[in-house]
Amino acid sequence: MNGICHRILTIGRNTFLDAVRQKFFNALVILSVALIVSSRFFRQFDFGSGELKFIADFGLGAILLFGSILAVVATAQLFYSEIENRTALTILAKPVHRWEFLAGKFLGVFLLLAVFTALMAGILGIMLYWRESSLMDRYGDQFGGQRLVSYAGLAGFAVLQWLKLGVLCAITLFVSSFSNTNLYSVVVSFFVMIICQLQYIARDSWESIGNPALKGLVWGLSLLFPNFQMFNVGDVMLFPHDATEQLSAGTPWMIGGYGVVYIFVFVGLAVFAFRRREI
Amino acid sequence: MEAPAIRIHSLVKDFRIGLRGWKLRAVDDVSLDIHDNEVYGLLGPNGCGKSTTMKVVLGLLEPTVGGCEIYGVPSSQVKSRLNVGFLPEAPYFYRYLTGRELLKFYAKVCSVEPGKIKPRVTEVLEMVGLTEAADRRVGTYSKGMLQRIGIAQAIVHDPKLIILDEPTAGVDPIGSAAIADLIRALKAQGKTILLCSHLLAQVEGVCDRVAIMDRGKVVLEGKVDDLLSKHDQQSLLVDTFPEAARADVEAALAKHGAKLTGVTTPRISLDDLFLKHTGKGGPKQS
Amino acid sequence: MDFKRNIWLQRAYTFVVCVCALLLIGLIVSPLQRKAWGEVRSLQPELNLKEVEGALGQGLVIGLLGGFRTIIADMVFIRANVYWEKKDREKTEALINLTTAIDPRPMFFWLNGSRIMAYDIPIWRIREAGGLDDVPKSVQDEIYQEQAQRGIDFIDRAGKYHPGDYRVPLEKAQIYNNKLKDTEKAAEYFLQAYHSEDGPYYTARIYAELLRQMNRQQEAYDFYRQLYNELPDDPQANKPVVLERIRELEDELNTPAMQRLPAQPGERYLPGYMQEDLPIGVKTPFGDTQVPPGEIYPYPEPAAPAGHSH
Repeated sequence: MNGICHRILTIGRNTFLDAVRQKFFNALVILSVALIVSSRFFRQFDFGSGELKFIADFGLGAILLFGSILAVVATAQLFYSEIENRTALTILAKPVHRWEFLAGKFLGVFLLLAVFTALMAGILGIMLYWRESSLMDRYGDQFGGQRLVSYAGLAGFAVLQWLKLGVLCAITLFVSSFSNTNLYSVVVSFFVMIICQLQYIARDSWESIGNPALKGLVWGLSLLFPNFQMFNVGDVMLFPHDATEQLSAGTPWMIGGYGVVYIFVFVGLAVFAFRRREI
Repeated sequence: MEAPAIRIHSLVKDFRIGLRGWKLRAVDDVSLDIHDNEVYGLLGPNGCGKSTTMKVVLGLLEPTVGGCEIYGVPSSQVKSRLNVGFLPEAPYFYRYLTGRELLKFYAKVCSVEPGKIKPRVTEVLEMVGLTEAADRRVGTYSKGMLQRIGIAQAIVHDPKLIILDEPTAGVDPIGSAAIADLIRALKAQGKTILLCSHLLAQVEGVCDRVAIMDRGKVVLEGKVDDLLSKHDQQSLLVDTFPEAARADVEAALAKHGAKLTGVTTPRISLDDLFLKHTGKGGPKQS
Repeated sequence: MDFKRNIWLQRAYTFVVCVCALLLIGLIVSPLQRKAWGEVRSLQPELNLKEVEGALGQGLVIGLLGGFRTIIADMVFIRANVYWEKKDREKTEALINLTTAIDPRPMFFWLNGSRIMAYDIPIWRIREAGGLDDVPKSVQDEIYQEQAQRGIDFIDRAGKYHPGDYRVPLEKAQIYNNKLKDTEKAAEYFLQAYHSEDGPYYTARIYAELLRQMNRQQEAYDFYRQLYNELPDDPQANKPVVLERIRELEDELNTPAMQRLPAQPGERYLPGYMQEDLPIGVKTPFGDTQVPPGEIYPYPEPAAPAGHSH
């Protein structure tokens, strides 16, 4: 057991190192930081305390957009580079199980996503705090003597985003485990991501469909894909005072648990599909 | 009796290609035994099934029929690979790691004891002649150096069996000679080596036994000396050989019922000539 | 058929196993999803695609569906602000409407949108028509009326997404008061704002003052008396101001002494009372000292208006 954990961690660490030393990751980080920092641009509009909402939306948007690209492209890239450079052969020719190899790959990208999300959320938090402090001096009445942004909420939301990106990473790993090209994996994974974002439509509507065949199909679709829309709770978590209703304390945990379950499911399916793949 | 290092019995491997699943038989009923502390060459043209056979041995592919064992353990089991090192054909390692980091990684994956990793990595780097390049990123290595770091990762955990796929492909004669020396040194350490190559001349000097494959079948197998020597012919080496002497020799041979079939000038190989004029090779650093 | 040799059978097997596993997991996590999603969904209004599709184009619609709803709404609102700077009223109004169609959750969009419609656009329209000096007063009034009504209609739509939010009636009350000069309606909505959750205390005082403006002193007085009773002893509730208004109204209405609000702790001057008539338990530290009417012990000046909860 100890040996297994050790091997998975070693492969994960190597994957992570391989990823952070690539230009792609660095470029993405620079782009995201630029996007978050460029929210200074909103100052010219004089939105008052509303400016914080814009900064937060753009920051969270950058995390979601670039995080999704990172999760899909880095997973597919790191997986296929192993196959194409035949390094997967050198690892699998050693006393390493295929599932350990996949688990290590996942762990590496998941770690990469953790660093990315933490870095972005950190920068966003600093930007928000700095602007909030100066806005509080100018428009004290709009704040009612308290901070509008919940920084604990931001941290919690960053963790949820990380788990969501982890699910996306696991989905990409699953697609890569049976697809033959990098491009195919990337395209299919993005497609699946959009379906997961829209899963809620199927979920919310199957009961009201009359045609039994269609009803069954929509119901099946709603079960097949995880619901990514559930993770879109950024505004409620960041601006709890502004929202008309609040999330109950247990809900973020439930959403997080939901993400963890799907991470295990998709990594498990990736292992299953990869078990007899000829490499 | 101790199990052979590798036993391949009645191995058949089919691939399905294309949408309709056309069957391609890559390996056709191959049976081989490779003994301990032997350098075994699996030779043949490209696409003859050498690499596929190796991958089946390593458990990277599932056999269609038949099977393989490594030291008596079926290849399908992960533990069969505890004592195996493998160099794939034309590997590109993690470009962003240095040579030393790369070997450390493989040592860890093979569960080398943490305390022994550092000295072992240094030792292996020395062995393959990459000590000076150890802290450079693998992405900057030349083809020959990649091949040598590849061998280094295959032996970093001190396996008993080392499998090398085209170890000299694309490497210059100096590099090839260095790799050949390395293989001899490994044999001297008691390792078993299976190597696959289509560069027949380069492996001639290192293999104890070879099998020649063609279209998935083993067409010839045996000791190199036995296979290459023409046992019904002998050659004489003479410093100067005037025409008159030739007539005398022919007459003398005729008396014993033998016949002189040709006179040629011995040639050294181009590789040897190259090595002689480029300073006898030695591990190349760039 | 030999399973091991038939690649299609193997692929079909893998596919079926994966689908079954996903369906099974979908069923297992269904209760968890129902609970969490039910709550999250209640916080996310339905996206009305028909309303926004034409204006946004396919690419952005995918972005909307892909989880970038808030950011796209922000960008549209910023576009609206760019046109606002150029004083282009058609595009400003169209983009504000589009913003709230994309994401009706942020109150910020509704408040700013209605203010732009009610306060800024009439000025632009008058300027377009020839300027404040040249456009006849009646036409100007008509423009003010029309735009104020647009602002009110706009903020009214916010009520659908923010039921019970005090900012909706408050914004309406202010437009009625400032632009339409409809004191009656303004008072009604100030009162509604006060009765909403977290409605600020000052809205109640404005309501009563508007009653006074309409010469409904008795009503204002009764309201203040009731308000004074229900206000907490929170400095933000500004009780002394309410007390001051009560005393003013008692004077204006010539309320008989016995019907007046009894002296309150901290009050220096108790109109119509002799010291010995003071209600039990109330003392003035000044004994018989007379001070000018309406003066009150200095309370600490309250901070920014705070809301209250019902």
